[in-house]
Amino acid sequence: MSKVEVESTFFKRTSRWKLIVLLLVLALIMTVIVSLNVGYAQIPFPDILGILGKQIPFLDNFIDSSLISPQNEAIILQIRLPRILAGVLVGAALAAAGVLYQGVFKNPMADSYVLGVSAGAAVGASLSILSGIGFVFLGLRLVQVAAFIGAISAMFLVYNISRVGSRVPVATLLLCGIAVNFFLFAVVGLLEVVAGDELHSIVFWLVGGFSNVLWRDIWAVLPFIIIGVVAAYFYARDLNLLAMGEETAHNLGVNVERSKQVLLVLASLTTAAAVSISGLVGFVGLMIPHLTRLLIGPDHRILLPTSTIIGAIFLVICDDLARVVATPFASTLELPVGIITMLFGAPFFIFLFKKKKQSYAA
Amino acid sequence: MNRTYVIIATVVAIALIASAAFIIYYQGQISDSEIEALQNLVDDHGYKTSLTAYPEKIVSLAPSCTEILFAIDAGDKVVAVTDYDNYPYDFAAWIAAGNMTSVGDFTNPNLEVITTLDPDLILASGGVQEESVGTLRELGYKILVLDPTSIDGVLKNIELVGNATGKRAEATALVDDIINRINTVTNKVANAAKPKVYYEVYYESTSSWTIGALAWQNELIEKAGGINLFEDQQIDYYQYQVEALIDRNPDVMVLPASGMGTGQLEGLEAIKARPGWDTTSAVQNDRLYQIDSNIIERAGPRVADAIEQLAGFFNPELF
Repeated sequence: MSKVEVESTFFKRTSRWKLIVLLLVLALIMTVIVSLNVGYAQIPFPDILGILGKQIPFLDNFIDSSLISPQNEAIILQIRLPRILAGVLVGAALAAAGVLYQGVFKNPMADSYVLGVSAGAAVGASLSILSGIGFVFLGLRLVQVAAFIGAISAMFLVYNISRVGSRVPVATLLLCGIAVNFFLFAVVGLLEVVAGDELHSIVFWLVGGFSNVLWRDIWAVLPFIIIGVVAAYFYARDLNLLAMGEETAHNLGVNVERSKQVLLVLASLTTAAAVSISGLVGFVGLMIPHLTRLLIGPDHRILLPTSTIIGAIFLVICDDLARVVATPFASTLELPVGIITMLFGAPFFIFLFKKKKQSYAA
Repeated sequence: MNRTYVIIATVVAIALIASAAFIIYYQGQISDSEIEALQNLVDDHGYKTSLTAYPEKIVSLAPSCTEILFAIDAGDKVVAVTDYDNYPYDFAAWIAAGNMTSVGDFTNPNLEVITTLDPDLILASGGVQEESVGTLRELGYKILVLDPTSIDGVLKNIELVGNATGKRAEATALVDDIINRINTVTNKVANAAKPKVYYEVYYESTSSWTIGALAWQNELIEKAGGINLFEDQQIDYYQYQVEALIDRNPDVMVLPASGMGTGQLEGLEAIKARPGWDTTSAVQNDRLYQIDSNIIERAGPRVADAIEQLAGFFNPELF
């Protein structure tokens, strides 16, 4: 290949990638707009636009707010919008973290459960629920702070147990992680047994959901998730090289141990931030990276950003379904979103997998 | 003379002893209708139990059952209760003092403790206890499952327990009293405005739960002169969309304290500050009320208390 040919392939590929990301961002915006219409309350679309427009300076002078009921305004601005944005953030964070875990471990089964991060969050949340203390710390509830601390602590615990000298072999990390994961979930089981009246709170947290999320919860986790995903993007090339084996990656100039360490911290940080507002929403971190690989390919430079956006779209749609699918039985009924992600996500994933299995490469 | 006195005295003594013996014998006997009832005890799950004598040792596996037993004066036969029992006495203190046995957790009562006590009768509730009930039945124990879904169901259960324990008169008196108290309330509120009532089961950032038409509390709200905000939902306890609460705009909010509810933990101010809740009439008019969750969640003899308290929330000017 001549230099010109190489350059032209490179430009073709990057412009194709830019187009894919642009289209996905548009799809995400469309999903958010459609989702603003989903829910029990029948609010006409022009009213929704009016309510949103009122929030924009200068534009608010042109909107006749007398026609908008305070109830509808509260539903859109304080219930649906935060809920949709929580779906965007949590879905993006879990999917991005899934890409990082699967890349570092070179294992298609890897997700936030592998390093004990989810289990650590569950122990933190359960303990804080049992303590009965609902106090607020920097605008956050104890259960959120405790889940975050539990997740990060579990990751550091697993990482340090697995350390052999200055190296952390992936196989050791995986096995120690699974052992710690089982141990921590046993602790959660024990806490459930003694929970008494608080058992419901623990069970609902483990199922996951963000129906009543607050704006301040979103502001609190936003920086962690943005920093985590953006920083991870700079390691996308390292992930590609790690996929060829740690030896090869090392020979090609990757500081393997350093990259693994940074990537695991970033993955756990975004996961911890996400689960602290959503509880354990399962399957997103495991499934979305595979789904994206099937659709777009295994190169982490495009896999990471597209998985992040597809994860966001997926979870927002699941939360829409949570508000819709049960309404034929009772018009105000909703289902836990963590159940929807698995109930609808798993068959969809199997369908795609069967259809495209010939081109799959983990 | 002396002989005559001796004879008279002997006759009188014999007559007295005989009549005393007869009275004692007769009192120990139970009437035919009582025997028939004792042999045909049918519980809420349609299970027929036949007893040959009034039980001397009763194990209660649910607080609502314990409340019924004590309310009809059969409490002295209760030998064991769960750790959740707290009415009409502080049973935790009794258990600590060794005056009562604990069967442990409500969901998983300790079967070894129960078999060691070898009770003549066990009262249980439905739902989560069904597995334990099945095991105990296989072991040959006599069990009545009290699983009422309505006020009538509770009244029927009180009579059932009355029949099973030989406290028929007490049970009838209690039932009459409950009916009278409920009628008094319904008469008072008959012409009053009916507020839309939100009843909270659970609220956290993950999910929010309330009651539909099939929950036990729906009927209590109705009798007390209110309308359950979600009475059109043919479901009992369920996860609802908070935007439906905002959209339907309740006039009154009832927040059971302790138990499953989060009301007590948060306090009323935190509830008013939940996103969007300030648009509801209930918050704007400061009509949020807390009620002891044990009174309103247990389908037991305190049902009239629950209705009286609710009615006071809905129409304070009438009470």
